[in-house]
Amino acid sequence: MKKSKSKRNKKNIKNFIVFPLILCAVMFAAAFAVSAPFLSNIFSIGAMFMSDKQVDYSKAYDNIFVPTDTNADTVDASDIEFPGINKQFGELSIKGRDVDAKLFFGDSSVPLRNGVGIYAGSFIPGYGRTILVAGHNNTYFNGLKNVRKGDIVKISTSYGNYKYKITGTKLTTDKDKKAYDLSADKENLVLYTCYPFDSLGLTNQRFFVYAEKESGPVITGLYE
Amino acid sequence: MKRVISVLTAVLIIALSTVAVSAAGLNSGEQSVLSNMRTPANMKGNSVYVPAAYINQAEAYFNTIDMTSDQASRINGIIGQGRSFLEGTGKSGVSELTSSEKQTLLGYASAAAGVLKMSAAAGSDSTKVKIISKSGDTIVDDSGSVIKATGADSYLPSVIILSVTGALLILSSAGVILLRKKSYGYEKIEK
Repeated sequence: MKKSKSKRNKKNIKNFIVFPLILCAVMFAAAFAVSAPFLSNIFSIGAMFMSDKQVDYSKAYDNIFVPTDTNADTVDASDIEFPGINKQFGELSIKGRDVDAKLFFGDSSVPLRNGVGIYAGSFIPGYGRTILVAGHNNTYFNGLKNVRKGDIVKISTSYGNYKYKITGTKLTTDKDKKAYDLSADKENLVLYTCYPFDSLGLTNQRFFVYAEKESGPVITGLYE
Repeated sequence: MKRVISVLTAVLIIALSTVAVSAAGLNSGEQSVLSNMRTPANMKGNSVYVPAAYINQAEAYFNTIDMTSDQASRINGIIGQGRSFLEGTGKSGVSELTSSEKQTLLGYASAAAGVLKMSAAAGSDSTKVKIISKSGDTIVDDSGSVIKATGADSYLPSVIILSVTGALLILSSAGVILLRKKSYGYEKIEK
């Protein structure tokens, strides 16, 4: 009798705890494996129904970028059309590292959906200050996982072409204010994206890439 | 604090937005405004500065306009008023301001926006300030943080994953019920 009760208890544990957990894990893994390639789209569609914020799905933007072969050392400020917020004004690439994107001024959803964007509280190439560029980890800046010290970041704009040499990388949080210096008076390029690179959920980790200016025209006549 | 600083910056930028001409470079008026923005407010002995990110945004915008000396002096006047107001509150930091004092600062922004036929909005989360020109262009769109969310469409995955987990748990429960039914049937036969 006792043996039969103990057998039943064991069976209950198996049926009510072990099996459900295994089943749940297996089904979750299967659902994830099947839907992984479409998750980004599913999330975007879901956002329309579940978001409490106004989401901008627009992809429209202004483009003032016209490629140039100019190799001058300087360019006068009066010859430059300073980009307005969310306008494409260049391109950014890292050869052999799968990074090739349109470059915007501004880093809201429209620029980041179409390319990579410079934070409006930082500056454009040639200005002699900090250039802070954001890009999504699952699209245009996914290739940052491949970068190495010494790689060259190319930035093309309508007023000149720039090269920056990568000096290092850093993994930190989005709240780390030491990860960049917006008061720096030396031109420096900072690229960042979310980490881990192929994560789909929220993350407070950021992967930063630092680069120093190698070449490209200095903007002169900024202060009349 | 961010809201207060954002509003102050908003006031400055709005007031400077009357002329929308693309002209990189900063004239003397624009430089004087930037210099004025860098001057701290003395709140009960504490120097309170406008963060570099806001000043830089103003500088970027000034590069897209041509400010007249008259506009510059008016803006400098508003900055002075804002600074005097902060110093006159008797508080030692902007975080200590009451909501009424914050509203007063918002009033500066609204008044400036009204005069210039532009709009400024401070978000309910107190960290967002959006400034839109009369032509509908976004002049400043500040999300409240320098470093943005650059992952896959941000907060949604957690919601979806929770929903999927819930659905799977329901299915698991259904499986358990079936097993239970089978188990009882077996016991009946045993008896």
